[in-house]
This record gives sequence, C-alpha cells and structure tokens, in this order.
Amino acid sequence: MTADQMTPLERFSAYNRGDPIDRLPCVPIVGNAAARVIGARVSDFRGNGRLIASAQVAAYKLFGYDVIRVFTDLYTQAEAMGAKVHCPPDETAYLETPALTDTSEIDRLAPANPYRDGNLPGHLEAMKIALDQVGHEVSVTGAMTGPFTNASFLIGTEKLVRLTLKDPEKVHRLCEISLQTNLRYARAMMDIGCTPSLTDPMSSSMVISPGQFKEFSFPYLKRLIDFIHTRGKTVTLHICGKTSKIWGLMADAGADCLSIDNEADLLEAKQKVGGRVRIMGNVRPSEVMLQGTTGDVRAAVVACLRKAYDSPKGYIVASGCSLPTETPLRNIQAMLDTVREAGYPVNMEQLERGINHE
Amino acid sequence: MSKDKEVLYSELSQAVLEMDEERSVHISGEIVAEQYDAYEAVVHGLADGMDRAGRLFEEEEYFIPELLMCSDAMYAGLEVLKPHLKREESGGRKRVVIGVVEGDTHDIGKNLVKIMLETSGFDVYDLGRDISPQKFVDKAKEVGAEIIAVSTLMTTTMDAMAAVVQLLHEEKIKDKIRVMVGGGPISQSFADKIGADGYAANAAGAVRLAKKLAGGA
Repeated sequence: MTADQMTPLERFSAYNRGDPIDRLPCVPIVGNAAARVIGARVSDFRGNGRLIASAQVAAYKLFGYDVIRVFTDLYTQAEAMGAKVHCPPDETAYLETPALTDTSEIDRLAPANPYRDGNLPGHLEAMKIALDQVGHEVSVTGAMTGPFTNASFLIGTEKLVRLTLKDPEKVHRLCEISLQTNLRYARAMMDIGCTPSLTDPMSSSMVISPGQFKEFSFPYLKRLIDFIHTRGKTVTLHICGKTSKIWGLMADAGADCLSIDNEADLLEAKQKVGGRVRIMGNVRPSEVMLQGTTGDVRAAVVACLRKAYDSPKGYIVASGCSLPTETPLRNIQAMLDTVREAGYPVNMEQLERGINHE
Repeated sequence: MSKDKEVLYSELSQAVLEMDEERSVHISGEIVAEQYDAYEAVVHGLADGMDRAGRLFEEEEYFIPELLMCSDAMYAGLEVLKPHLKREESGGRKRVVIGVVEGDTHDIGKNLVKIMLETSGFDVYDLGRDISPQKFVDKAKEVGAEIIAVSTLMTTTMDAMAAVVQLLHEEKIKDKIRVMVGGGPISQSFADKIGADGYAANAAGAVRLAKKLAGGA
C-alpha cells in the first residue's frame, strides 16, 4: 500500500486536467459516522458548528478521503422554515412535523435566512472552521437538500406527491420558496469558500416518475445549479434509489458529477452519461459498509472499479448513499485502502488477482 | 336495468386503477343498492384495482403519487362497502400488527401494505410510525396476532427490526408469531440475518408473504 502523494485538491485538479494522479479520488459519504471518530453523540451536533467541524475534520484526517461534507440530516433548510425535527440522543434526526398542516398556509412561508434561522448558522460555522483548518488541501462542501425534497418536508411527503396530480400549481409554489432558501443558503456557503453538495431523495424514480421529475424538480435544480456555476463552483448531485431514466435530465440540469445510488448500476451510468458528467458511487451503505467485513468492502470497491474506473469524464469511488452512523471505521479504512492499492492508472487484472488470493 | 355484478366489480377495479375517487364511491353505491356481496366487491373490485396499480408500479408506469391516489379511491369505495361486509366473512381472519420502526416517520410503504392486507382479508392493527420494538410485541400479544409486519425506509433504523425478533425470542413466543420485514434498505439477506420469517420487496409481495406465513402458522 502506498501512502498518498497528493492532497485531495491537487489530486482533483490534476485529474480534471488529465494529468497523472497517485490514485482515484475516494469519497465514503461519512455523514454522522464522523461522530464516532471523536466519540461524540449525534445530538451534540445540534447548533454546535465547532463540534461538527471537529468531527468532520478528524474523520477526514483519519482516512484521507477527498471531500469533506458538513452534514447532520436532510431537514436543516425545512427546519429553518418552520418544520419540527426530532433529535434522538445518538441517532440521525428525523422530521417530526412539516412546516405546514395545509396548503392554505403556503402564504405564511418565507425563505430562510441562513445567518439566523434554525441550525443553518451552526452549519455555516462548521464549514468556516473546516475551511480555515484544512481548506488549503481539501474541498469543503455543505450538504444541501434539493428544492423538491425540501418542499416535501414543508407540507409532508404524502401531501406533496398527491398535489403533483391534484394541484400542480401548489407544488410549484412550494418548490419556488424552497429554491429561494436554497439560493440564499448557497450564497452564504460560497461567500465563505464552501461548495453546496446537493441531495434530493424525493426526486428518485422510486418516488416520482421521470415526467414528474422533469416538471417539478428539474427546473428548480437547474436554476440552483446555474447560480452555483456563476461562482465558478462545480456541483455534485445525489438522488437516491433508481435514477437511470433521469440521468440525462440530471446532467441537463447542469450537475458536474452524479452521485449514483446502489440501486442503480455504475456500468449503465458510465455508458449512458459517463461521457457528459463525472460519476461517483456506489458501494452499498448497509449490506457492505455497515454489515460487511473489510474483505466484503474490498470486493465491492473492486466491483465498482471494474464497472467505472475508465468512465470518460472521470470516476470517484464512493458509497451509494450516506453511511449509517454505526458503520465500522475499519470498513471506511478498507475502502480507502483498496483505492490506494488500485493506484493509477488502475490495473484491474492485478486487483482481481488480489481478491482470488484472499 | 341492473348491471351484472361482474361488470360492476370490473368497473370498480377500473375506477381504483384510474384514481377516480368519485366513481369508486358511485359504483360501490350501485353494488350496495343491487345487494351484491360486499366482500366479493372488495376482493374483485377494490383489491383487484390496487393489485393492478401495484403491477403498474412494479413496471414503473405508476409511481408513488399514482399509488396514493389509487389508494384514496380504494378507501373511498371501502367506506361505502364496509357496513355491508357480512360478519362471518370477516370472522376467523388472520391478524397482522403493522408499523414503521422507531426513528422513522416515512409511512407510504407501510400504508400501502396495510391497505393491501386489509383488502386481502387480514385484520390489520396499524400502530403507525416511529414504533418501539416492545410496542410491536405488546400489541401482537394483546390482539393475538399471527404476524408482525415491520417497515423502514431508513438505513439508520434497521437495528430496531432485529430487536423485534429478539424480544419475541426472549418472551418465548417466536414460534407463535411470524415477523415479516420490508422497506427501501431491507433485503432478503438482512431478513435472514436478523432471523425474520420473510421479506417482501413491495406491497403485492407482502400480501403473498403474509398469506404464506399465516397459512403455515
């Protein structure tokens, strides 16, 4: 195993230019598993930007992966707009009550002020601290929930999806106001040098149809990504579950990198959109990263590499979605170890022999 | 001129499939007026419509919004037919306790499974969402359920499913109560690992599984 020869920033910039690199970029989407690195409880992150930063920076330093992502849960923007979030002592928070009980209340909603509302200020603080500490060597991103998904947290998921058929105009109003929060939060992030990282689970083709995605989610994602591009930042877009029928639209929305869930196939992604955008993914977060052995992780990483290492616009080894909080740290290490062993250019034959000899 | 019952059942099924709530109520009313059998209408009309909607969902023709609207139409019809279901036909039914595990408030999948089980002749006790393992077990004992059905959509809450199975073992009633699991992050291998009796990938599969488990219990 060779130690890294480049910092993540050097690696990405060489990879983007087509210059030699020491290994492929690797992003286990660590999320709240970072709490375990510093022995913190997940609920301690609430409103504590300093602690979020110290967990995320410690996790980055421990494993040496290629992107820091400040994240606690998907609800931070909706919470800043009036939704209630339940925080178990040591598990990921979840939505308790949407911001609205009825669509007649839509007029009461206002876009969030990221410097004042909910836990957004704490998250911005975490991004700032992480950037000050390690921003010279690694890119720091802030998790941002896509407009359509955030709209579902404002009115409730079931209500929102019914509205897509019953009253589309209301869906557009909820997405528009969600977008206004996105734009303000994105501006605040980029003003301190951080990049928004987009997650939009409700846009999945396991929830809404590709047609509904095009009508209700795509226009808002595109406006958000266009805005982020005006500041010279590249955008990674993650949509959970099955997405193969909307990859073209995700690229049309302007995403530079598609984060592919483990329900979708990397080889198909490479063939369909690999020539337009970078792809990342998709080791199974629960069956492999949470429940598997380090040998399972290695085999899964090799299987991903076999499918996508030569994707034309580049490939990042990653988990298919955020890792569960209790993911064993040795499995995260095994993911990085395998990517380091693979080196660059990736020698698949040698890697696969390694598996057979275990 | 009265319509043949099979024609009405098929129109009812179609109303559910086409998400037409008003039509579902109207046809259910006709069925009641003609004094046709309400249980047959539920099975061959409402449940058949949901079944076909479920197949369109599997084929990625329908998505969650369509399924929810179909279930709205189904429930609207069920409200009309329910008072006319005969007692003996609802007697001797198998009982299922269903809920979403603690820590998860996503319940679309669970609600669909509940509807399908109800229209397939099960008595379903719905605990709702964010339910502790102990509550599943307590409710199952209280109502004498043959099956506990546990759902989650989140990887962060899967351990609570194992706890349900564990509790049944601790109380030495695992041989009486079968556990079925489902939801986005769940797989057959996970079900096997935690010692659950079965896994279903979707609502239609959950019904097949429940029938199998109830038959063998």
